[in-house]
Parts: sequence; structure tokens; C-alpha cells
Amino acid sequence: MFDLKKYRKKSPWILHYNAGSCNGCDIEILASLSPKYDLERFGVINTGNPKQSDIFLVTGPVTYRSRERLVELYTQMPEPKVVIAVGSCTCTGGVFRDMYNVEDGIDRYIPVDVYIAGCAASPELIIDGIVKALEILEQKSKEMEKPHKLFREATSEGGIVNRRHSALKVGEIDEEN
Amino acid sequence: MKKTINIPLGSQHISLLEPVRFKFECENEKIISVDSDVGFVHRGIERACTTKFKFDAIGYVVARVCGLCAITHSLSYTAAIEKLLGGEITKKAKYLRILLLELDRVHSHMLCLSHTCENAGFEAMFMRIMGDRELVMEIQELLTGNRVQFDYINIGGVNRDISSEVAQKIVNNLYEVKQRVLGYMDEFTNNWSLSLKFKTIGALSLDDAYRLNAIGPLARASGLNIDVRNEIGYLPFSEVGFVMQTHSEGDINARNIVRLNEILNSILMCENILSGLPEGEIFTKLKGKPNGEAVVRFEAPRGELMYYVKGNGSAMLDRVRIKTPTFASIPAFSHIFVGENYADAPAILASFDPCLSCTAK
Repeated sequence: MFDLKKYRKKSPWILHYNAGSCNGCDIEILASLSPKYDLERFGVINTGNPKQSDIFLVTGPVTYRSRERLVELYTQMPEPKVVIAVGSCTCTGGVFRDMYNVEDGIDRYIPVDVYIAGCAASPELIIDGIVKALEILEQKSKEMEKPHKLFREATSEGGIVNRRHSALKVGEIDEEN
Repeated sequence: MKKTINIPLGSQHISLLEPVRFKFECENEKIISVDSDVGFVHRGIERACTTKFKFDAIGYVVARVCGLCAITHSLSYTAAIEKLLGGEITKKAKYLRILLLELDRVHSHMLCLSHTCENAGFEAMFMRIMGDRELVMEIQELLTGNRVQFDYINIGGVNRDISSEVAQKIVNNLYEVKQRVLGYMDEFTNNWSLSLKFKTIGALSLDDAYRLNAIGPLARASGLNIDVRNEIGYLPFSEVGFVMQTHSEGDINARNIVRLNEILNSILMCENILSGLPEGEIFTKLKGKPNGEAVVRFEAPRGELMYYVKGNGSAMLDRVRIKTPTFASIPAFSHIFVGENYADAPAILASFDPCLSCTAK
């Protein structure tokens, strides 16, 4: 049978959504898919369908009307999925921060894995970001294959550390610092 | 029984770069009415220009209205402020402004052509044009330091001088682009499969173009002689060899041919500018605060762009009003869709070269 997990890494599909950007980052995404930068050599293809996509590229500072569609697209994508914020205004709001119809970045609404800075983000940075996202995607796929056993003993070495335990551990380190 | 079906296109779709929603009412294959919603990208830039930023920073803010015609936005705003401050900028700065304006037009038109081909199903042509477009992006990066958002124009001149090596590189790359564009001209006029998708599809007659207030390449493809570069005396377009390009058919093919001819004309203008670039300073310091009203028009790649600026003698402005080309053309867009096949809708939409982030601001 086909080993879907293997092919997911070799050919991740991109979903691109413009949540109110100025088109600058969108045309840079198109440019990075075109022959000079050739992102398609990683097996990446731009699709319009959230249900077939693995990587979610978002541009723009999230306007008031596009936020519902943004969350809807995110929830329609199958696990594992990686979200990339392309451009300064997607990361923080950028020059549009505090304008009355702008929500100051996408991480208020959906979890972001890779932030790409720049106004507009250059194709080199976008390629770097997507290569980084491929690593995260592989890691997330492995994470999904592990059997989840909640409330397992934390002392077992090499075992799965459950979420509650790891969260506590992070908090302890923060207290020490 | 209801005989029509409603098909939505957008707000997220593979053939759209930007969020816009069209609702097509179709009877079998034919579109009989269309409803559009363009407000997804509204950010409130006009409001922020009067409350958040001082007048000398707004030139860089309004560039973020649109990434494709960023230079036209900052140029229009700067020209309005220079009118209010009453200064005169040097001739070299004016020539460099035209140079970047025309380079921007070349890359914007090439993007539109490639996108039209992609939406018509000709992926190879999309890749070819996008690959050749990098030649223009390269010289824009050399000239201004950035590929898309240039921030090249400031109040009183331009931010960077041009060196002789950069000028030589621009001439070489533009020569290369010209050869490629002549190749596309052949492809767009003679390719049989492209002609099935483009010829007689999405036609707009001269009367309708006039009546529905079409502007830019959309109107010029129908034979309407409007181009703001012909009407304003602020920048010396006639000195550098501007010729208006029109076509009589009004269909998608005519729009493509008009865009290709404009690219050739823009390349000619850039070459003329570089061969006869005047000596002198690139920046003049202008003093004072803007007081009064000014209206400035410029030709963006998509048509006429109008700025209205009102100052009150302080650092904050009273009003900045932006009228963008796509906004004026929406009635013509809706008119063209009626009577066409639904399968052609993405290609027709791409051939308008709509810019929704301009429209919604």
C-alpha cells in the first residue's frame, strides 16, 4: 500500500490565504514558485483546497472581515498542519498596527509555527521558512504516530511525556530563572 | 421552479490572489447576473493617515495600500504635498521617478499577463513570463534596495542616486526583456489554443467603456483614448517618448496586446531616460507644513489614481482621500461578465488585473 506519511514529507501542498495584505508578499510567494527560485523542487504545489493542504501560508494583518474565514480555513485543514506567517504585518500588524479594522497579526487567532519577517518578505526568506516548516511537519507527523497515554508516570525514561507534565516542567524552569 | 443556479467564487480561491467574492447567477453555462463583494481587505488607511501618522511619514504608509502599484501611491501623495509646500524638485529627481514608475508598470503588466495565462489553463506561459519578470525585479532591487516595497520617493526628491554600473545593468536587462516581450507578442497573436480562450471572450464595446466609466488598459483595449500620462504636466512624460497604446477589439486578447505594447513603450521610455539623464542633485529640502487642498492624478498600471490631500498648517493632515483605479472600473467588470460562460470567468477576472487591496484600502 501507499505509505502516505512518506509522501507527505516529499510533497507538501500549500494553501495560500490573503488576510488583508498589500499584495506585496503574495506576489513574492508567486515569484518564489516561479522558475528563478523554484520552490516546486521541494514537491510544493499551490492548491486552492484547504482539505488537501499541509502548509498554510498567510499574508496580511487579518482584517475584521477576513478573520472568520482564516479560522475556518485553518480548521478545515487535516492534521498535521503547519502555519507560516509571511511578512511583518502578518507577524505583528506592522505598519497597520492599531488601525481600526485590523487585528494585529494572525497569532491572536491561530497558532503559528514559522514567522517570516520583512516588508515585503523576499523569496529567499520564504524558501527558508518553508524548508523550516517541512522539518516541523515531519516532527508533527511523528508526534501523531505516538500512542497517547495520559497521566503516565513521568519518571519513565524515553517514554512519552504527556502534555500536562511537560507544561508543568516548563513552568518550573521559568520559576527558577 | 427556479431555473438558475448560484455559484460563488471566493473569498478564497486558487485563481484569486486576493480575497474578493463574486456571486454568479448562471443559467446552464451562461452567467446572467453577477454580484461582487470587495470589502474583505479594508484596513482603514485613510483614517490612520489623519490620526496616527505625521505628514512626512504618510508617503511610506500609503505605499502599503498596494504592493503592485506602491510607487504610484507614494508618488501621488508626495506630489500633492509638494504642491502644498510650493517647492520645485530637480529635473534629475523627476526623471528617476519616471524611471521607477515605468519599471513598476513593466513588472505589474507582466504579472497580469502571466496570471491571465494561468487562469486560462496555460501553465507553461505563466512560468515563462514569471521567469522573465525576475529580470525586472533584479534591476528594481539594484536601483532601490528592495524588490517590492521600494520606499524610493520622499518629499523633495528620491532616496538613492543611480550609479553608472546600475544604469548599464538596467539597459542590459531591459534589452533582454524587450526580446522576450517580442516573443510573447508572437505567442499571444498567433497561438491557436490561446486564441480560443482569449479572442472574442469578455468583450467591452467602446460605447459601454465610455458609459460605464472604464479606465486604464481596460478602456484603452476598447479604443478609448484615456491615459493620465497624456494629460498631466507634472512629470515630463512627453519628453521621454510616451505614446498612447490603444486597440479596437475590447476582448481579453486586446487587453493583453495593449499591455504588451505598453511594456514595450515603457522600456523605450526607460532607455530614453537613462541615455539622457540630467546632472544635478536628487533631493531638495522643502520647508514648512502643508496648508490648503491639493488634488493629484497619476496613471497607475491599472488606470487613473487620484489623491486629495487637505492640510491645516500642522503636522497632522485633515483629510487624505484615495480614489483607486479598480474601484472606478467595477461597473464595467460586472457588465462584461454577463453573457459569458462560467468556465471563462477566472480568465476574464484576471484580465481586468483587479487590485482589491487598492479598492478597499
